[in-house]
Amino acid sequence: MDHAGRGPAVRALPGRRGATKGRSRASEVAADYAYILPALAVLVFVVGYPIVYTLVLSFYETPPSLPGRFWTGLGNYRTILTSAEFFDVTLNTVYWALPSTILAFALGIPAALALNQGLPGQGILRGLLLIPWVISTVTAAYVWRWLYHADFGLVNGFLMQLGLISRPILFLDSPTLVIPALIVVNVWKTFPFVMVMTLAGLQTVPRELLEAAAIDGATAVRRFWHVTVPYLRNVLFVTFILLLISNLEHFTIPWLMTGGGPARASQIWSIDIYTIAFRSLQFGLASAYSTIVFAIVLVFAYLYVRALTKEDTVR
Amino acid sequence: MGRISRRQFLVLAGAATGSVLLAACGGEPAATPTPTAQPTPTPQPSGQSTAPSQAQASTPTTTEAVEIDLSQWSPDYVREIAGTIGETDTKAFVSSVVPLETTGNLSYWYIGPAETDPQISKDFDKQFWDAWESTYPGISTDVQRLTYADMLDKIRTAATGNAAPMVATMPILWGVEFAAKGQLAEISPEEFGFKESDFWPGALKSCRWQGKLYGLPTNNESMALIWNKQLFREAGLDPEQPPKTWEDLVTYSKQIKDATGKYGYGLVARQNHGNTPFRFMPIVWAYGGGAFDEAEESPTYQSTLINNEGSIAALEVYYNLFVRDQSVPASALTNTNAENTDLFFAGQLGMYIGHPSEFAVMVDRANKATGADKERAMQLLDNIGYALLPEGPVRRAVVLGGSNIHIFNERFVRGGKVDRTAARAFIAFRCSPEWSIKAVWASSNPGTLQAFRTSWMQQRLEQVRFLEVTTAMLKYGVPFPVVPESTQIMNIIIPDMIHNALTGKMNVKEAANDAAEKIQALMKQRPS
Repeated sequence: MDHAGRGPAVRALPGRRGATKGRSRASEVAADYAYILPALAVLVFVVGYPIVYTLVLSFYETPPSLPGRFWTGLGNYRTILTSAEFFDVTLNTVYWALPSTILAFALGIPAALALNQGLPGQGILRGLLLIPWVISTVTAAYVWRWLYHADFGLVNGFLMQLGLISRPILFLDSPTLVIPALIVVNVWKTFPFVMVMTLAGLQTVPRELLEAAAIDGATAVRRFWHVTVPYLRNVLFVTFILLLISNLEHFTIPWLMTGGGPARASQIWSIDIYTIAFRSLQFGLASAYSTIVFAIVLVFAYLYVRALTKEDTVR
Repeated sequence: MGRISRRQFLVLAGAATGSVLLAACGGEPAATPTPTAQPTPTPQPSGQSTAPSQAQASTPTTTEAVEIDLSQWSPDYVREIAGTIGETDTKAFVSSVVPLETTGNLSYWYIGPAETDPQISKDFDKQFWDAWESTYPGISTDVQRLTYADMLDKIRTAATGNAAPMVATMPILWGVEFAAKGQLAEISPEEFGFKESDFWPGALKSCRWQGKLYGLPTNNESMALIWNKQLFREAGLDPEQPPKTWEDLVTYSKQIKDATGKYGYGLVARQNHGNTPFRFMPIVWAYGGGAFDEAEESPTYQSTLINNEGSIAALEVYYNLFVRDQSVPASALTNTNAENTDLFFAGQLGMYIGHPSEFAVMVDRANKATGADKERAMQLLDNIGYALLPEGPVRRAVVLGGSNIHIFNERFVRGGKVDRTAARAFIAFRCSPEWSIKAVWASSNPGTLQAFRTSWMQQRLEQVRFLEVTTAMLKYGVPFPVVPESTQIMNIIIPDMIHNALTGKMNVKEAANDAAEKIQALMKQRPS
């Protein structure tokens, strides 16, 4: 909101300046709050209340055999943090989330750079590369499940027809292959997001700077490292954090493709929480688990917010 | 009356419109969504005959019927008693429970026919709602038809948020959890015009929690072994002799795989999926194991048997099929039964455990096929056999499946009120011999035993191929443990145990011990 126009008028009334300015400021702030109040109310009910309720519930035991809940203090947290399974699942989650994020960048950045070159047919190419991102995750998970299927799968069928394998590769039925197989799907699904964000960042790089560097004899690689990357750094960092958070909390692809199996090899945090809550009906335990995961993700969220704030300060 | 300004008129009109809309939103629940027209009798999938029309007036009503001797239960006995009481008069029966002119409201949730179900199931579902509407026109019914995958989460959430329906039909395993939480109302069969002996004892057991009854069985089914005679022939096996024991099944499966390169047996082991325990527990029970002592006459559910010799032997059966012989689908660890049905239908699978309705589903699919696919599908249909599940050293067993109907306690129901009279009328109607049988014509068996004596049962036996086999399996039905932790044990702990053994994460014995520890830990969490 523009306050500048009102300033001189207030200053023209010496003696009452402070009070008038204060009232005016208060009414403006009140109006601002009124504008954001509906959004704030929705946020409080939809996000705030569930967070607080989950936190409260995490201190209770909710046995499936009895109505109501029973105070257990930090008991649920102790159960989770001392369980070997939690650490297995955490390793699975890191194994799933970190390579998924890094590989999405490994594909997304070159794609963005290529699209930024003004290639012929660039618009069509950009549209095509965006397809995985716009397809619903559920649809993608089912399609890939069928592609990977050990008995009906197109991938195995193709490899067998080419004579490259004699037995089907157990992409989803082998504890060692399942997470890499799921990562492929996730990277395929999310690299366009990195591409779009990077492309947006690339368009903020001043062309004059690149031209000046070129005139000074900088090679394409040096121009990229010394001119483009510094401009992109913040965009890439924010995108990385966003994608990492999204991958840490991801549920749909592993759930629909493997249900967490085989032998819990693809059991990640979100699936574990869902299973404890809705299959075992231990809502208290699941709430404590969610709170722990929430605290971990909050660290990354803090980094994200800090990066954004830093960006604002720089501007 | 004075003149009003245009502004006043607009305000009043707006207020009136708002009132009407509010009244509409908070008014009576919508009536059942089905049209009132009486459907045409439906052709059977086999194309042999037509489904019966609604009950013609005849005798006797349920309460007058003759007892059934369950000790005699066999395919022959099932055929012998079918038709002995003709068609029952549903209107006469339900009117003796609740007068037909009764008015009221009812909200009801159930698992309705899915897209993949045979057409006849959809037709009878429609016919059921038409008949209910014409029998009790004064009872307005708000119906929610759900899928198996949605219903549990949805009804749990609804009950927790005091928004449950008044009445719900739920799969047999689910009710105890709601009863343990005090969310279901206690009932007695008599208030619906029945007595306990009108139902399978095992099925009634699944409706009981701490000695009190919280539901009535609407239908019960048991699965059977389905085999492809053509693949048996190609493997050098007698096509008319399915495996008698689980050991035989392992041998036959290997022989099929070795001789034809196709899979012998459709093992299902997906984690977090109900198909897995339904196909594994019969082997466990057959070898004398169990999650608890649920296979015994009077189970106590006190200590787990999942790591006793019988359970370990059953797990070895799976190990031999999957790891040693590799005679089952490579995708078994992530498969549900749907994938096995596809493999079987494609002629790539020798045997699998399936529902009574599988044949009707295959007939539907064959009818929709074209060209060479149709020819192949028809050839397969001619070569399908249904048999009792193999037996083990201790017994022959199968999971007693089906559904029970329950009334929710008022405080958990939307609006805080249950129209008990309407609920009684509906449950009497749904469990009447006529609808107990027609509502599950091709997919299950009636929960009400007297329905087996009706002429509808006789017609089903003529129309639904292999019905006598799946019906005969009911005698061997064992309900899953009637404890609130059952879903966790069956959907998580048991599949985890199978995966641990089949992926080599643990050996068979370690996997069984690990499962036993988990079950014990789970039971210890239960407050005394």
